[in-house]
Amino acid sequence: MSTFRDLLRVSLSGLAARKMRTVLLLLGPMIGVAAIIAAVGLTDSAKGDLKAKVAELGTNLVEISASSSFGQETPLLPEDAIERALTVTTVETVASVRQLSNVLVTPYTEAREEFETIPVPVLAADDVLPDVLEVDLVAGRWLDAFDESTGARVAVIGQSLAQEFSYLPGENRTIELDGFAYAVVGVLERVPLEPGFDNAVFIPYRTAGDDFLDDELEPNKLYVRCEEGQEDLTAQALGVAIGLGGPDEIAADIKSEALELAAQSDRQLQLIVVSMGLLAIVVGGLGIANVMSISVIQRSAEIGIRRALGHTRRIIALQFLLEAVAVGIVGGILGVLLGMLAIFVGVSAAGWVFVMASWLAPAGVALAVVISVLAGSYPAVRAARLEPLETLRLG
Amino acid sequence: MTSPVDITPFMELAEVSRVYGSGDTEVRALDSVSLSIWPGDFVSIVGPSGSGKSTLLGLLGCLDAPSSGRIVVDGEDVTALADAARTRVRGRSIGFVFQQFHLIPHLDALGNVETALLYRGVRPADRRERALESLARVGLAHRHDHRPVQLSGGEQQRVALARSLVTEPKILLADEPTGALDSKNAANVMEILGGLRSPERAIVIVTHDNGIADSAARKISMRDGRVVSDEATTP
Repeated sequence: MSTFRDLLRVSLSGLAARKMRTVLLLLGPMIGVAAIIAAVGLTDSAKGDLKAKVAELGTNLVEISASSSFGQETPLLPEDAIERALTVTTVETVASVRQLSNVLVTPYTEAREEFETIPVPVLAADDVLPDVLEVDLVAGRWLDAFDESTGARVAVIGQSLAQEFSYLPGENRTIELDGFAYAVVGVLERVPLEPGFDNAVFIPYRTAGDDFLDDELEPNKLYVRCEEGQEDLTAQALGVAIGLGGPDEIAADIKSEALELAAQSDRQLQLIVVSMGLLAIVVGGLGIANVMSISVIQRSAEIGIRRALGHTRRIIALQFLLEAVAVGIVGGILGVLLGMLAIFVGVSAAGWVFVMASWLAPAGVALAVVISVLAGSYPAVRAARLEPLETLRLG
Repeated sequence: MTSPVDITPFMELAEVSRVYGSGDTEVRALDSVSLSIWPGDFVSIVGPSGSGKSTLLGLLGCLDAPSSGRIVVDGEDVTALADAARTRVRGRSIGFVFQQFHLIPHLDALGNVETALLYRGVRPADRRERALESLARVGLAHRHDHRPVQLSGGEQQRVALARSLVTEPKILLADEPTGALDSKNAANVMEILGGLRSPERAIVIVTHDNGIADSAARKISMRDGRVVSDEATTP
C-alpha cells in the first residue's frame, strides 16, 4: 500500500514537472474519446424526442383484437377474454373496450344536422383503461364501478373532442348520443399509442348495453401491460390463451413496436463515426507510445540513479505505467466532457433532444485508460530494462 | 592490510574477474581481484583510465555481476543474485555519490534526498524528517526547497551526499566526487566526506587524483585490471 502511494507520488510529480509534454500526452486519448462520445451522442440525439417518448410510454403494451372472420360484421373477443388473458403469467394488467357502431354524437340537439356527417367513435370501456394505458385525465374523473353497476348515462371524452364541442374543463354539461343525454364527467388526456382515443367518447359497458346493444357485451379489444422485456412471448401466449384454438382469429400487437423502430438511431452512420473516433484514439495511443519512449531516453539518467538507489525494475516499470494510467484517466475524463460539449452544441444548433447513454461516460474513460496502458507498456518495459551501469557513466 | 580477525568485512571480493565480450574481442576488465572493505575503512581506489576501476566500482556497488569469483556484501553472497535481489542489497547497504551528481532535475533538494527512502514503507512525515536531517548534515537544510538548477555544483554534490547518507548505508561509494568541482568546493566536499568516517561505515572513493587519494587512510592502486598495491597512506 505504501509502495503504491510512493509510486503515485513519483508518477504524478513526473507528469506535473513536464507540463507541455503531459498536455501532448493528454491530447490523444482526449480527442479520441471526445470523438466517440460525440458520435454516439449526436446520432442518438437526432432521434432523441422519439426515444424519450418510447421511454415514457413503455414498450410493454400489447393490444389484442379480434380479426375479422368471414361473415361477421364486427369481430368480437370472447366474453371472458380478460379472465383468459390473466391466465398468462407475464400479464400484469388488462383493460377492455368495445367499439359501438353507428352512434351519432352531437353536443346538443340543435346541432344534430351539423354533426351528422362527422363520425365520432363511441366505446364502452371498463374502469381500469386509463391505468393500463398509463394516461391521466385533463379534467374530471374516469368512469367508475358505480357508473358501471347502475348503468348511469355518463361519458368521458377525448381532448380533441372536448375542444370541438367547446367543453370547458369542469363544466356541467351533457352531450347527446343518438338522442340520449349523457353527462360529461371527465376529459381524457392524449394517448400517444392510441391517437384515435383523442376524438372518442367513453361510456360504461352496462349503459352501452342498455342504450345501444341488444346482444352480449363482448369486448373487441384488450389492452394488456406485461412484464418488461416479455412482450413477444406474452403476445404469442395471449393469442393462444384467448383464442383457445376456437374459430376466432386473435391478433396480438405490440403497440410501441413501430415507434421503437422509428426511434432507432442510424446504426450505419454511428458505426462509421465511431470507427473514426476509434482510429483517432489509436493514433493518440501511438502518440503516447512515441512521446513516452522519447521521455524514457531523456530520463535515462534519472532511471539510472533510481535503480542505483534501490528501486527495482518492477518499480521503474510501474512508475511509467502509472503515468500512462493517469494520462488515460485524466484524458478520458476531459474527452468525455469535450464530447458532451460537442453533443450539447450540436443538439442546440439542430433543435434535438440531448441523449447520452449512461454507459458512454465510464466506457469512454475505460477505453482511454486501456489505450494509454497499452501504449505506455512498451516505454515502461524499456525504462525497466535500462542498465544503471550504462546510464550513469561511471569512472 | 591487516585487520582484527573477529571483525567481518562489509564487503569481500575473492578472485573476482569481469570479462566483456568473447573470443577475439574479449576484454578482461578485471582480472582476479581479491580485496575486503572493513567497517571504518576510508579507501581510495586510483588508477589511470582503463585500469578497471570503473568496473570494480560497478561490482562494489552491486550494479554488475562478476564473470567469475565471489562477492559477499554485508554477509550476503551477491555473486549470482538475480537483479531484483541485488537491487535490494544495493538499496539496503550501499550509498552512491557520482561525479555528475545525478540529481533528478524536476525535484527540489528535499525531494531528491527523499527519493532514496521511497518504497521502503517509510511514512511520508518520517521520510521528510529524515531527509531534512540528512540535508542538515551537509549544511543545506535551509536550501531544501531549491531545485538542482538553483544550486551551485558544490551544493548539488552535497545534496547528492545527503541522498546517499539518508539510508544509513554500510558502504558509501563515491565516484570521482570532486571531478566536476572547483578546488574550493572539492575541498569542502572532501572535508564532509572525511567527517563522515565512522566505525559503522566504510567510505570508498574512486579517483584519478592522487591528492584526493592520499587524503584517504588506505589507497588501492590499479593497473590493467589488477590491484598493484593496497596500503595504508602515510599522512
